[in-house]
Amino acid sequence: MKSLFRWVSRISDAIAATLLAAIFFIFLLQIGSRYSPKIIGYFGWAETFPALGTIQPLGWTLELIAILWVWVIFFSCAFVVREYDHVKFDIIYLAVSRRMRRIFAVISAVAIAAGMLYAFLPTWDYIDWMKIRKTSTVRNPFAGGKIPMRTIFSVYGAFMIVVAARYIWLAIDTIRNGPPKTELEIVLEAEAAAEAEKST
Amino acid sequence: MSFELASLLVTLFVLAGIGTPIGYSILLASVVYLGLSGLDVALAGEKILQGFYGSAILLAVPLFIVAANIMNAGSITDRLLNFCVAIVGRFKGGMGHVNVVASLIFSGMSGSAVADAAGIGKIIISMMTRSGKYSRGYAAAITAASATIGPIIPPSIPMVLYALVSNASIGSLFLAGILPGLIMGAVLMAMNGYLAHKRGFEVEETVPLKELPRVTANAFPALLMPVILLYGIYGGVTTPTEAAAVAAFYALMLAALFYRSLSFKALYQVFVDSARSSAAVGIVIGGAFILNFIVITEQIPQSISGALEGADISPLMFLIMVNALILLLGCVLDATTIILVIVPLFIPTCEALGIDLVHFGVLVVVNSMIGLITPPYGILLFVINAVTDIPLREIIAEIWAFLAVLIGALIVMMLSPDLVLWLPRLLGYQG
Repeated sequence: MKSLFRWVSRISDAIAATLLAAIFFIFLLQIGSRYSPKIIGYFGWAETFPALGTIQPLGWTLELIAILWVWVIFFSCAFVVREYDHVKFDIIYLAVSRRMRRIFAVISAVAIAAGMLYAFLPTWDYIDWMKIRKTSTVRNPFAGGKIPMRTIFSVYGAFMIVVAARYIWLAIDTIRNGPPKTELEIVLEAEAAAEAEKST
Repeated sequence: MSFELASLLVTLFVLAGIGTPIGYSILLASVVYLGLSGLDVALAGEKILQGFYGSAILLAVPLFIVAANIMNAGSITDRLLNFCVAIVGRFKGGMGHVNVVASLIFSGMSGSAVADAAGIGKIIISMMTRSGKYSRGYAAAITAASATIGPIIPPSIPMVLYALVSNASIGSLFLAGILPGLIMGAVLMAMNGYLAHKRGFEVEETVPLKELPRVTANAFPALLMPVILLYGIYGGVTTPTEAAAVAAFYALMLAALFYRSLSFKALYQVFVDSARSSAAVGIVIGGAFILNFIVITEQIPQSISGALEGADISPLMFLIMVNALILLLGCVLDATTIILVIVPLFIPTCEALGIDLVHFGVLVVVNSMIGLITPPYGILLFVINAVTDIPLREIIAEIWAFLAVLIGALIVMMLSPDLVLWLPRLLGYQG
């Protein structure tokens, strides 16, 4: 079970990194495609290499980047972001005893799971309805048709389900083993481990 | 206040108060609001998805994070640090100056105060305390204080977030941040110099002048990064978002090809970490989209400006009040939350009072950064305390002098919009 989790986490790390890297390189492609006709024109390369003359500024890049951005956020929040990575207001949480922390953590986790599940069906209705709208420039690279927005927004539905499942799991884990570690505890533990490695 | 709005606020405060991630707290509170108002709860998801799909400017956030992580992983940060030591390390209070200048050049854009303090902050603190020339508390305090400058000087994620909620020009905001950032650096260095003389801190071993060209040449390409960024935006070569991509690309080229200090494995880790940080910020931004919709539905900004109009408040009075409020909130909330959730409430009033939105944006960002080091809470103080084991009491005892000059600088910026707006106006900002 543990090794399964580790593999899921490794693969989802790779997917998130690829999505973000894709955003980065498509941006560069977009800038490049806008300037290369000018540069080619300036040096008169189009006469010598007719293929270069056909380069045009790309239209689909911005929309594809927007799609990938939506995916990076919700895919990463579902699979890659760890509990202690989140932006939190933790003065009270850090000030109370470990027992109180456990209660707080269970309430938060149950509330998140309940909220996500409660909102899921109506939200899925909306996402499903979005099949009538399609992307304006990005096309499916295999079938060639434009992509329905439902496909793009479906990541949000998956996000809701996965987050609900994760927080149900977190609630159970908290009841069994105590509250999750805070960011500081993780940083300090990593440091202690590094120190120990150095001294050996 | 309507019953639905009250239940939204109660849900939000209770959940956020017990340590639920802010993004999820907002999401849940808005689901409660929508459910009680009889509206479709799918509106929450709809506003978030449409918001992300429609605001291309936000893409600067992940790209700046990528750029910063590449700079850290690719030893660019270290080279900049060596450069600072060679330039200002020779003066009285030298390492304190190095600390400030390093923050001026290397803006803390990685998006996590913990990461910055645990990385570059820790290096400088150990450099300062190793020789025994500076007390632990002093080293930690000036590190925390100078870390507030990073996000004022472009590239700056808080500025991008402010541009999103206010529709102010991101280019003008970046330009407007430069001078205030330099002023903050200057007052911190002045205070450091004064304290160094008063307490008789010993001078560092100076880097010989003949070494200077080598150290400078080593750091020079990295120093060009802000120049490229600003030229890209103001020269009309790229949009601000594309400029962020170019900055990241430049950092990648430097680290991988020029300095040859970035392995493929390290680059992969940079993208994983950046995706993680971007998503953690992203979910709060998502919360802000839906909250913004509710704030407009409930006509909250109108009632705020209505109440203020009745009270006949001058623009300056309003600025003082908002700044005091943000300074207080900054002690308990982080900059992302303040800018995305609190600041939009005041934007319409600003417009009604004729306060320039770029000026206001700079004040807000500076202010929320100062909040990060304000005792008793100040997140940066905690982080430095945790990663260096310097007792909080010692850090807080030393922070007051730096805090005082930073607040002084904030007051100067508040009173003189012309100073803040000088640079943007020079380059064609109408306002």
